[in-house]
Amino acid sequence: MTTAARPGLRLLFGQPVNKMQGSVTPQSVLGPQADDERQRIRREFEAGVSARQTVLALCALADQKTQQVFEDALQTHTLSSSGLCLVALGGYGRRLLFPYSDLDILFLFGTEKAEQTFRPLISDFSRTLWDMGFRVSSAGRTIEECKRIEEDNIEFHLALLDRRFLAGDTELFNRLDTRVLPTSEKAARPFLLAQLHKLTKDRLNRYGNTIFHLEPNVKDAPGGLRDYQAAAWLRQISENKQSLNITAAEEDLASGAVDFLSAIRCFLHYANGRNDNTLTYELQAAAAERSLGVSDAETRNAAEWMRLYFRHARTLNRLLLRYLEQKALVPQTFRQRIFNVARGPKTEPTNGRPFGVRDGMFEVLNQPALSDRSQIFSMLTEAARAGIPLSRQAERCIAYIMQHPELTVSNAEVSWSGLREMLGADYPGFALRPMQRLGLLTEILPEFSRIDSLVVRDFYHRYTVDEHSLRTIEHLQELADPPDERAEHFQPLWRTVDRRDLLIFALLLHDVGKGMPVENHVAGSLEALASAAERLKLSEEEVAEVHFLIERHLDMSATMQRRDIFDPATVSGFAATVGNQERLQRLCLLTYADIHAVNPEALTPWKADMLWQLFVATSNHFSRTLDRDRVHAPDETSLLEQVRIVLEGGTTEEIERFLEGLPRRYLAVHSANDIAQHIAMYRKLKTEPVQIELRPSGRAFSLTLMTADRPSLFATIAGVLAGWGMNIIKADAFANAAGTVVDTFHFADLHRTLELNPTEIDRFRRSLVDVVNGRAPLQPLLQGRDKASRERPPKVAIETKFGFDDNSSEHSTLLEIVATDRPGLLYDIGSTLARLWCNIEVALIDTEGQKVIDVFYLTEQGKKLSPEKQSALFEALRTKLG
Amino acid sequence: MMKLEAIIQPSRFESVKDALREAGIEGMTVTEVRGHGRQKGHTEVYRGREYTVDLLPKIKLEMVLPDKLVNTVVDTILKTAKTGKIGDGKIFLSRVDEAIRIRNEERGENAL
Repeated sequence: MTTAARPGLRLLFGQPVNKMQGSVTPQSVLGPQADDERQRIRREFEAGVSARQTVLALCALADQKTQQVFEDALQTHTLSSSGLCLVALGGYGRRLLFPYSDLDILFLFGTEKAEQTFRPLISDFSRTLWDMGFRVSSAGRTIEECKRIEEDNIEFHLALLDRRFLAGDTELFNRLDTRVLPTSEKAARPFLLAQLHKLTKDRLNRYGNTIFHLEPNVKDAPGGLRDYQAAAWLRQISENKQSLNITAAEEDLASGAVDFLSAIRCFLHYANGRNDNTLTYELQAAAAERSLGVSDAETRNAAEWMRLYFRHARTLNRLLLRYLEQKALVPQTFRQRIFNVARGPKTEPTNGRPFGVRDGMFEVLNQPALSDRSQIFSMLTEAARAGIPLSRQAERCIAYIMQHPELTVSNAEVSWSGLREMLGADYPGFALRPMQRLGLLTEILPEFSRIDSLVVRDFYHRYTVDEHSLRTIEHLQELADPPDERAEHFQPLWRTVDRRDLLIFALLLHDVGKGMPVENHVAGSLEALASAAERLKLSEEEVAEVHFLIERHLDMSATMQRRDIFDPATVSGFAATVGNQERLQRLCLLTYADIHAVNPEALTPWKADMLWQLFVATSNHFSRTLDRDRVHAPDETSLLEQVRIVLEGGTTEEIERFLEGLPRRYLAVHSANDIAQHIAMYRKLKTEPVQIELRPSGRAFSLTLMTADRPSLFATIAGVLAGWGMNIIKADAFANAAGTVVDTFHFADLHRTLELNPTEIDRFRRSLVDVVNGRAPLQPLLQGRDKASRERPPKVAIETKFGFDDNSSEHSTLLEIVATDRPGLLYDIGSTLARLWCNIEVALIDTEGQKVIDVFYLTEQGKKLSPEKQSALFEALRTKLG
Repeated sequence: MMKLEAIIQPSRFESVKDALREAGIEGMTVTEVRGHGRQKGHTEVYRGREYTVDLLPKIKLEMVLPDKLVNTVVDTILKTAKTGKIGDGKIFLSRVDEAIRIRNEERGENAL
C-alpha cells in the first residue's frame, strides 16, 4: 500500500529530533528481541508451519512491539494517548503481514492541535520501529479530514477499509470506525467502486491480462494475492453483496489458493531478504524441491509444481473477474436514470436459441439446453464471428454442464467442418480463450494439454506455452482494428488471407512439441498434428498446408534476421521454400503473431518492418516470375505418381501432356486431386470443347473453365459473369504448352441468384458455354447490368493506376492495374486488351475490399509489347476505367 | 580503453556475435537501428502502393574494450561482417576515459 503522508507530517519526520529520552525498554533490548522472534518465526515456517500461521505470528509480533514502543513513547514524552490513536491499515490491518511487508499505520488525531502536540512523539516512535527492523509506512489525518474522500488518493481509502485498532485513544477509533467512515464510505460508494475497477483493470493490463507469466509476481500479477484482495474490496463496497452467489465450495477453493500463494510469498521474502514477490525460475525449482504449499507426498519438478501455481492463480483471477464483470456503479444524472429505466436491459433477440447477447456479452438463457453440446459450440462460433465475448455467467453455465457427468450430453462430437467455421471467423480468440479456460479446447484437441500452463525457461518468452499460443491468435484478430503502427501493414493480409482456419489451427499446434519428450519441438508439433488431423478428419491438402506452416514456422523469422532480405537470391530462395502467394500470406501472419506473442516488446517496429519488406519482396517475386517458371512435366515424378493414383485410368503420358508448360503457380495452388479433376475435364474436351466446373466455396462460387485458347476468351468469361451480376474476387488464367486454357474464377453472387434459384445454375452454365462457343451474343447480357452497376457509386474511391514492367519477364510485358472494384470491371479491362490485340499469357486477379489488383502478362504476336502499344493501351484503359 | 561502435548488416549479426564470443568478448550492447550511408534505399510497389525504403535496417554493436583487445575485435568484425557489397557498414573507435561497475564501483579495465 502507498499511503501518502500529509505534507506537515512528512516535514516533521524530516526534522532532526532529540534522542528519545528515558525509554522504559531500551532499544538495545527491543531490537534483538524482535530479531530473535523473527528468526524463530522463520525457522518454524521453514520447518513446515503454514503461511497463514506465519503471517499471523509476524502480525502479532508487530502489534506487540508497536504497542510497546508507543506506550514507552507516551511515557517518555509524558503524554496521555487522548486525542491520538494508531490504526493498522491494508494488509497489516487484515493481519496478513509477510516477512518484509510494510507496516501501514495511520496516526489519527482528534484535532489539529493534537497533531501539533504529538509530532515529536510520532517522530521518535517511527524511528524506533525502523531501528527495530519494521518498515513503517505511515500517514496522518485528523478525524475531520477522514470525512472527506481524497479523489487522488484512492489507495488510502481502500487501505482504510481494512482498518484495525492498534493503540491509543479507543474512543477516537470508535468514532472513526462506527460513525465517520461508514457515512463517508456510503456516500462515496459509486466513486470508490469505479476507482477500484479502474485501478484493478490498469493493474491487470500492466501484466497483459494473463496469469500465465513464466516468472509471475505472486502479489500483483493477475492471479496473485492482490486479485483476492481486490475481489474482497469489491464485495465490501458493493451494495448487493449476495448478487454473485459465491458457493461455499468456491470459497474453499479460493481460501486454498490464498494459502498456497501466501506460502510462496513468505518463501520469496525469506529467500530474497526483501519485499520481492517475483517467482523466478531459480526459486520455482527451489519451491518445487521442498513441495512448497503442497500437502501430498508427491514429488514434482518445477514445471509440474508451476502447474499447481497456475491452477490456484486461475481460481483467484476468476473470482476477481466475476466481481469486475458486475457493472461499476457510476453516479448518474436524473435524466440518465429515467432514460435507463425506459430503455431496460440491452438484450438482443435470441431467435429461439438458448443464449443471447446482453449488454455486449453472450449470456445463457436456458442452461439445461446446453446439455446439447452443439448449442455450446454454436454460441462459441457466434462469439468468434461477431467478436462478442462470453460473460462469466455463460462460462459458469457451461462449466456446470461439464462438471456434472450425470447430465446426459448429446452431440458431444465436434466435426472439423464445425471447428473450421469457428477458427476461420474474424475473432477466433473470442471462442478459443473461454474454451481453454473451461477445458473444452483440450477436449477437442487433447494435444493442446501437453502445453497446459507449461513453463519453458527461455530468456525471451514471458508467458507459458499455451498462453503464448492463444496470444498469437489474439494478436491476429486485433488486426481488424490495428492497435499500433506495427500492425498497419499486416491488416490487409489478415482481412484477405485464404484458409484462415488452417492458419489458426497451425498456431494452436505450432509449439505443442515443447511439451513433448522430443529433441526438436517442431517434430513433436508435427506428431501432434498427425494425431489431431486423423481424429478430426482433415483432408490431405489441409494437413499438408498446416504441416507446412508448423514445419516452417521459424523460417521467415530466421530469413529476415539472418539473411540479406534485399538480396534477390535470398528472396528467390525463400520464395522457392514457400511456393505460392497464399502460403506466403499465411506464413507472414503466423510469423507476425509468433514474434508478437513472445513478449510485449518483442515485435519492435524494426522487426515488423523487416518482416513486411521480406513479404513484399517475396510477393512481388511470385507475381513477376509467373511465366518464367514453367512446368516441365517429366521432372515432376512424385506429382505425376500422386495424380496417377487419384486419376482413374490415367497414364503418365496423358498427365504430362496436360501439365507441360503450365506456370508453376498452377501446381502451387492446385492439389493432386484438383489436377486429376482437371485432367478428367481435359479428356472431355474432344467431345465438348468448353468444360466447366462450378462449385460453392464458402459464401462465394468457384468456377474452373477449360477450353482451347482463343482471342478475347478471358474478356468473354468475365463479361458473362458480369452479365449475371457476379462480382469476381479472384482469378487465375493459365495456359499449357498445347494452348489449353485453365481459367479459375472465384466470384460473389451479388444478388444471390444461384443460391436462391438452384435451377438457374444450369441456365448459367449453358449461358457461359454458349457465349464462349460463340453460339450466343454477350452484349444483351451486359446491357441490363451495365446501367445498374454504373448507378452505384463506390463507397471508397481508389485512385486508378497502370504500371508496365518489361524487366521482370523474359517473354511478356507485365501490366499491373489498381482500381476501384465494380461489377464488369474485369470485362472492361479484358475487352480493351483484346481490342488492342494483346494476348493474356497469365493473369492474376485479386481484390482487397473495394480495391482490385490485377496483374496481366501480355504479349503481342509472341513478343513483349512495344512502347507504342503500351502507350496506346494506357490511353485506352484510362478512357475506359477513368 | 576504447569504445567501439559497429554498424553491420542484420544478416551478419549472428556470425559476428559468435566470432566475438570465440575471441573472448562476452559483453556488448546491441541495438536495432535504421539508416543509410552510400547504400541508398529503394522503392517497392505492392498492390499499387509505393513503399520507399530509404532507411535500411542495420544492427549497431557497442562495446568498450581494453586497448590490447581492440585490434583483435576490429579484425574479427571485419572478417565476419564483410560481404563485399555496398552496405556492409562501418566501425567507429573512440577513446574512453573511465568505466565504473555500478555493483561494486570497480574502475578502469577491471570494470569491463
